[in-house]
Amino acid sequence: MTDHSAGPVIEVTGLSKAYGTVKALDGLDLSIPRGGVYGVLGPNGAGKSTLFRILLGLIRPTSGRVNVMGGEVGDVAAMRRTGSMIETPRYPPFLTARQVLTWLARSHGLSPAEARIDAWLERVGMTAAADRRVRGFSVGMMQRLGVAAALISKPDLVVLDEPTSGMDPPGIQEMRALIRSLADDDGVTVILASHQLAEVQRVCDRVAILDRGRLAREGRVSDLTAGRARLRFELTPIAAALDLLGPTARLEGDAVLVEARREEAPTLIRRLVEADVEITEARWQGADLESVFMTETGGRDVR
Amino acid sequence: MFADAVRAEAYRLIRNRSTLFWSAAFVPVGALIVSIVVNLVTQANTTKLDALKLDVGVTGAPVDLGQALVATAGQLANPGLLLFLTIGAATLFAGDYRWETWRLVIARNRRPNLILAKLAVMAGLAVGAMLLFLLCGLLAEISKAVIFERGISFSIDGGDLGRLATVSALCLWRILQFVMLGLLAAVVSRSLLAALFVPLAIGAAQGIAAPMLMGLGWMPDGWPTLLSLPGSAFDMIRPVVWLDQPVPAEVTAALPRAVIGLTLWTLAPLAAALVLFSRQDLSKE
Repeated sequence: MTDHSAGPVIEVTGLSKAYGTVKALDGLDLSIPRGGVYGVLGPNGAGKSTLFRILLGLIRPTSGRVNVMGGEVGDVAAMRRTGSMIETPRYPPFLTARQVLTWLARSHGLSPAEARIDAWLERVGMTAAADRRVRGFSVGMMQRLGVAAALISKPDLVVLDEPTSGMDPPGIQEMRALIRSLADDDGVTVILASHQLAEVQRVCDRVAILDRGRLAREGRVSDLTAGRARLRFELTPIAAALDLLGPTARLEGDAVLVEARREEAPTLIRRLVEADVEITEARWQGADLESVFMTETGGRDVR
Repeated sequence: MFADAVRAEAYRLIRNRSTLFWSAAFVPVGALIVSIVVNLVTQANTTKLDALKLDVGVTGAPVDLGQALVATAGQLANPGLLLFLTIGAATLFAGDYRWETWRLVIARNRRPNLILAKLAVMAGLAVGAMLLFLLCGLLAEISKAVIFERGISFSIDGGDLGRLATVSALCLWRILQFVMLGLLAAVVSRSLLAALFVPLAIGAAQGIAAPMLMGLGWMPDGWPTLLSLPGSAFDMIRPVVWLDQPVPAEVTAALPRAVIGLTLWTLAPLAAALVLFSRQDLSKE
């Protein structure tokens, strides 16, 4: 994987943003290293979108400091080295995909040749639709075009908000490969937010988990998932077991999964048996990012 | 970076063909077609008109294209062209809110550059519409000469060229002043409809208010009139730069007031739009 020893690409200190009485970010401190793919996770209202919008200069923070690519937010020279796609992008409906990229290239001071528009259209799988007007595009096609739009200025940093939203499984796989190759082959630092935790685990080197506007957990994916495992129960009654096992317990199919350390297993099993829960199977399952997320956020919904 | 913003804005507008047609081409081409039809109908009824001894300009004198050009130039800020150019202005000023595309470009440039680039492209659109209007005016004169079997001449001197250039510049100023209200409306409301209808509504209200205020004793060349009614200020300046006639002393005295009025109505909405836009939350388009 990518070397993270270089200085941070984003440095956030004491960042707060309030919308009236609602605090979207509450004194967030975060340092994102240069290189690799960095995931930002959090439940609804955790502050991910607000953080991205501040990073891209779309909104101003209430307080705190933000440094992007060595410049303050709003430093156009630094921002020109940053590509982004925030939510599902939209475009002027009368333009074709190629014209959208040409328009954006011109806004960056690049000719279509300098922006390598055809190459990017091919890389995001949009060559066949290059000369179609975007008004008929599906959400997935908009997403692909949005990723190409984020990349035409040859940025050092790319910020992607839900890059696989609306894509079919092959599209998700292609996008994952593209994001990984951007980091590994092109040396681009990619920061992405996604609610597809399995995808994040596959593609990201590091993640930050936000909760209620603060940093709940940050680190390498391999470190965060190390030493954690889930105990998988098949049992009845399920509702009683979920209550007994605490906030990290959740239902997956007919089974109940609970985050636990090895030494906690006898206690958990004893607690279930004493409550007359009938256990038909109990076995250890490998750790994943989802269980870390559930632990850190108390199991609130993912996004 | 301002040039980048202008290039991008112009590139996008040129590909918006329906907006280009309705804002810049419809009025000049429509006026040309109407002119040709009227001339054809008139020619078909020449005998009747001759019997009535009406002067419809069908005498045998050649059509002077040079003088026609100067005459048409004074009409470049006519209500029809203003009305339809507002469509282009609204699309330019509010398009990024409507299409939710501010987020794609906002980080790449300074915010004032982005607004001023829209204004520069709007000026280009207005110039294009004005040139087309002049061309269609010339074609209408040529069609008149053909239909009524008259000769064509072209006489224009340095004074005429000066008046042509000055009144064209004044008309461009009036057009930009008019659509500037649309710019402010777009930034405040983030709405294309507001960008379209606010300047039209204010323009109509000012047009209706002008004679009423005169009836209430406001002088056409007084400060209140010229500061509150930019259309009246424009009408005060236009004959001075357009017509080859001596200017009455009271008009000369009122000229600075008219210029100040038109300047205020141009710069105040622009300044307000720039200030509001510089602090606007553009994540909510």
